[in-house]
Amino acid sequence: MSAGIGVDLENLWIRFGDFVAVRDANVNINGGDFFSFLGPSGCGKTTILRAVSGFLEPSEGNVLIGGKNMKGIGPNKRPTALIFQNLALFPLMKVWENITFSMEIKGASAAERRKRADELLDMIALPDQGDKLPSELSGGQRQRVAIARALCAEPDVLLLDEPLSALDLKLRQHMRTELREIQKRVGITFIYITHDQGEALTMSDNIAVMRAGVIDQIADGKTIYNDPTTAFAASFVGENNVFRGKVKRVMGEEALISTNRSGDLVARISTANQGKLAEGDDAMMFIRPEAFSIAPEGTSGDHFVTARVTHEEFEGNVFNIFTEGEGGKEIKVSIPNHGQSFKDHTGQNITLEYETRNAVVVPAGELAAE
Amino acid sequence: MPGFLRDFFNRNGFGMGLAILGLVLFWTIGLIILPQLSMLDFSFRPNLPPPEIGGPKDVYTLENYKYLIYGPEGGSQSYNAVDLRVFFRTLIAAVCVTIFNLIICYPIAYYLGQSKGNHIRIFAIMLIIPYWINEILRAFALRIIFGETGVLNTLFVGLGIWDTPFDFIRNDIALYAGLGYAYILLMIFPMYNVIESLDGNQIEAARDLGAPWWRIHWRVVIPYAKPGISSGCTMVFMLSAGALAAPQILGGPSSLWFTQLIYQQFNDNNDWPQGAAYAIVLLVTCILFVLAMMRLFKVNMGDIGK
Amino acid sequence: MNMSFLRISIWVYLAIFFAYLLGPLVIMSITAFNSSGFPRMSPWECLTFQWFGELFQDQRILNGIKNSLIIGAGTVVLSVAMGLAGALMLTQIWPKLRATYYTIIIAPILIPGVVLGISTLVFWDRINRMLGLGADSFLSNGIFLTVIGQSTFIASYCMLVLVARLQRYDLALTEAALDLGATHAQAFRKILLPFMRPAIASAAVLAFLASFENYNTTTFTFGEYPTLTIELAQKVRYGITPAISALAFIIVALTVFFALLNEAKLKRQELVAAARKEATVEELAGKIKLPSFFSGNMAAVLLVMFAVATITVVGTAMAYNPAQCIADVKEEKRLEAEQRIQELRKQREEQRKQREAEQGDAQQSTPKPSNNSGFGNVFAPNTLGGQDDESSAEPDNQPSGNSGFGNVFDPNSLKTDE
Repeated sequence: MSAGIGVDLENLWIRFGDFVAVRDANVNINGGDFFSFLGPSGCGKTTILRAVSGFLEPSEGNVLIGGKNMKGIGPNKRPTALIFQNLALFPLMKVWENITFSMEIKGASAAERRKRADELLDMIALPDQGDKLPSELSGGQRQRVAIARALCAEPDVLLLDEPLSALDLKLRQHMRTELREIQKRVGITFIYITHDQGEALTMSDNIAVMRAGVIDQIADGKTIYNDPTTAFAASFVGENNVFRGKVKRVMGEEALISTNRSGDLVARISTANQGKLAEGDDAMMFIRPEAFSIAPEGTSGDHFVTARVTHEEFEGNVFNIFTEGEGGKEIKVSIPNHGQSFKDHTGQNITLEYETRNAVVVPAGELAAE
Repeated sequence: MPGFLRDFFNRNGFGMGLAILGLVLFWTIGLIILPQLSMLDFSFRPNLPPPEIGGPKDVYTLENYKYLIYGPEGGSQSYNAVDLRVFFRTLIAAVCVTIFNLIICYPIAYYLGQSKGNHIRIFAIMLIIPYWINEILRAFALRIIFGETGVLNTLFVGLGIWDTPFDFIRNDIALYAGLGYAYILLMIFPMYNVIESLDGNQIEAARDLGAPWWRIHWRVVIPYAKPGISSGCTMVFMLSAGALAAPQILGGPSSLWFTQLIYQQFNDNNDWPQGAAYAIVLLVTCILFVLAMMRLFKVNMGDIGK
Repeated sequence: MNMSFLRISIWVYLAIFFAYLLGPLVIMSITAFNSSGFPRMSPWECLTFQWFGELFQDQRILNGIKNSLIIGAGTVVLSVAMGLAGALMLTQIWPKLRATYYTIIIAPILIPGVVLGISTLVFWDRINRMLGLGADSFLSNGIFLTVIGQSTFIASYCMLVLVARLQRYDLALTEAALDLGATHAQAFRKILLPFMRPAIASAAVLAFLASFENYNTTTFTFGEYPTLTIELAQKVRYGITPAISALAFIIVALTVFFALLNEAKLKRQELVAAARKEATVEELAGKIKLPSFFSGNMAAVLLVMFAVATITVVGTAMAYNPAQCIADVKEEKRLEAEQRIQELRKQREEQRKQREAEQGDAQQSTPKPSNNSGFGNVFAPNTLGGQDDESSAEPDNQPSGNSGFGNVFDPNSLKTDE
């Protein structure tokens, strides 16, 4: 990859009193990567960010930036810049003063700062807005000012703490592309914190999925989506249908699962769990809504599921069919809309078919909350 | 604790943290706690000339407190009737002033808190202006009004209502008016702050349900405003019991305020331990009284000072 | 019907209330312009400005003002610093300690000022002795003790003002500054302090006013440095003169002036902020100046009216000479007094005759008044005017005496000098 500065977390533990916020995290972030920590709120991802930026001392373990141990080095001495969740723009300073605050600290002259501010304002496409106060800008503009302010400090690592969460949907989607572009342009490492798997998947080179202080899986987006390591990762990233059961037979990379509701089904064992599942183990099988197709009536076998349709909805690009699942949860099936005529199945039993490679088995574990 | 301290210095930096901690410790310990303890200690010591302080005669004694109750040793009376009377009179008068202030201020606080418009700001300024004027001058102004040839007497005698000037000062009316006057703001603002945050719809709803105005106040406004009321009452009571300027200027020649006795012990009799003992008695009694009232009306300490 | 009755009674109540609140100040201010030697509204004698001249002549008052300013400055610095530190501590103290800590720093507001004064005096006296310093050491200096004593409770007021604003401070701002490379001190100076500035200004004004008017605590600690309040209290306790009214008038006028100024400024800021919000960048530069200081700003209008009135009054004072009026009143009084003396003499004559007729030793009662007046004459300023004033036994009638003296400082005499 590029020559950017990487970040490593080694056996990182962070405790608040008796509460363990981060449990033994080990992460290698390559220089120049766009790396995301993805997890529900309260999972410890912000705590990790604060440890990297230097606002928190780890209870155990180390934070390395560019291979250098950051122990005892304060936030103002680290080559990181943080973009806060609420942006934390200085309300009493004009936009250009905000952007060049890091230069003011170093004693740069006003003319120098003004020049740099204008360059950065051009880069974030806000020319001539330098003399406004942050309160006079719109949400998206403020967002970009915060990025410019952080970039002005010329950090080796840019840390972003859910910076898009306050924006409306349209703007959020627009800013995703923009952030990714800025990252490519400046070429430094971005560490991005989010609970929105869409953001993580679209922007990141690599993603760490976190649950209750533990990192479940680190991989690129496709891998996490298609080949999750844990039940949590499978259920948190994207929509997924779960089938609980026991391993009946392991057949190389595949396993036959005797599911609680749909009989014996076959699925691929996720890569990280190869060789770890034995017969009789509790397991969970996941099949994504789009992996199903409707099979002709009467077919059956170890990759067919029969269920009664409770209701259907039309979403434009897909038809969603909901059928009775186990434990009151529904099985969701998404059929792409190719303009075909679509028959209403509500109240009927239908047979669903999937390809074995699209069904993943992981050991039974905690699911993500809805 | 060390964990707390480490976090504290991490958050504030070493230099800033030290400055903050230093100032806070100087204030809380050096200016608040130690002087009070020192006064307490002092009140249990005999009045000695400076060279003998710390000498063999400097022992703890209850003499200063006994003096308040029994008077000078070998005195003609078995109780220190003069000082005790002043003490209780001060407390009772302070309670009266507090109640008087509460009654006259509640309607104002309610009106200011529940009305909207520009004139409220003007009223607020008019309320504050008298409190930017010197305490002594305020008392002086009342003396001009209540004096023997003051505005009121001139008016009433001039109108023929009274034959001879009424001595407001000797009858302590000037004093009570002055004390009430002095602390009006301290009564209004806590109440105003609370009542302002009361949702007007609650009052509308109560009115809608047919409650008469007094019941609306009794059942809706006053319970809601209780923290403000108790805060105001506490401040007015403590300050009027501890007032010195108003009694000195507006008090009649024969009626003393307890603080004046303390002042006399210090400045006229030069008996500091005795004065300190009186001050302790005043402070402790006032605090106990306030705590008792707070318990009686079920108010929390945290509500005070808001 | 019921509602309008309620409305009227509210307004009547408000009128009475504000009359109680402001009436004394108005009356006191007016007495500053009456030439009567006792501060009173009626009978109105002459419009005069002599009391202002007298006020600025009084060395003790001037010295008191000087001491008050020094102590006020010290108290402002110390209390705002301690109040800010106390407020910062309150926002981050260990939760279990918070209630105790809050009680401690709020307690000085409720402790009677007398008690604070005594405890300060006693405590520092003890420290002084422990250190083996003499009675003239820094620790027993009146200014030091007063600043310390006042700051004890004024810092609590400052803390309350500051913590209210601090609660609206976003800690992320400090963290952002640190993250961008600032030191803690830089983050404090460049981010927190500017944010706190309005509250610090309010706290400083509050602290100064509280210090300036404090009596209860200061009366125990002032030592050799009496403040203005202490001097005033001495004067008021041992005899009151309209010179104090004059001082009160100046303070009232200054207060009203600054209150209006502040109000006008706030209103202007509101208007400017509203204008900025609507303006685009191109408009910004021009448009800010457009909402003039006065448009929609009631307080500003009042402020200007107030300034004009002040200038008029001062102008009048420069040109006005009450000497004639005072002389008239004096003449009137003299006549009145003479008349009364005549009557008195007549009465006494009659009494004497009666008594002489009845008893032989009635002499004793008569010397008393004459003795009194003889003593009074030494001090009665009227002797300067060369008047025999029998009525000096009644202090209220001492009035015009200072006029001879006051004329020296009458603005008019200054004018002729120029």
